[in-house]
Amino acid sequence: MHTYELIYILQADLDEATLNGLTETVENLIKTANGEILKVDRWGKRRLAYPIRKLTEGYYVLVSFKLDPSEVANLRRTFGYNEQILRSIIVRTL
Amino acid sequence: MSDYKSNSGGSRHYVSKPKFCQFCADKNLVIDYKNVDLMTRFINETGKIRPRRQTGTCAKHQREVAKAIKNARHIALIPFEGDIYYDQNS
Repeated sequence: MHTYELIYILQADLDEATLNGLTETVENLIKTANGEILKVDRWGKRRLAYPIRKLTEGYYVLVSFKLDPSEVANLRRTFGYNEQILRSIIVRTL
Repeated sequence: MSDYKSNSGGSRHYVSKPKFCQFCADKNLVIDYKNVDLMTRFINETGKIRPRRQTGTCAKHQREVAKAIKNARHIALIPFEGDIYYDQNS
């Protein structure tokens, strides 16, 4: 188990219920892979430094979690499948 | 006088450089890609990573800074090119 940090950007034009649903699915993804969520920090709407898929705004969410290293590649892949997630990054932290 | 001559020649624009690495001097200052204000100090107005000769960071920390900037670019916190836009709301 290592500690990781995940930031993902959701489309900013989604309504509150969809946003909550998506954040929950992400958390469940980590939990089903026997991970442990340490902290969830919603940065909220932010202007992107450059347009992604012609969108200028994004909804940022930061998650710190503990997960087995073998599961991380799997998690990274799942983010690519979701259309509403514009970008994501997973970084190992101390 | 010969020392002055070596500085005056050349086409590079002279930027006065700090004599020490700020990350070595201040151990509390962590290089973090999420810290937009810190990252913008290490990119120039075209969005390029500023060289060590301008920022004065040591080789070890420059590598970490470069990595952090690339991470920050990926999640659209700082631009790949061009000036940074400051949001009035945040």
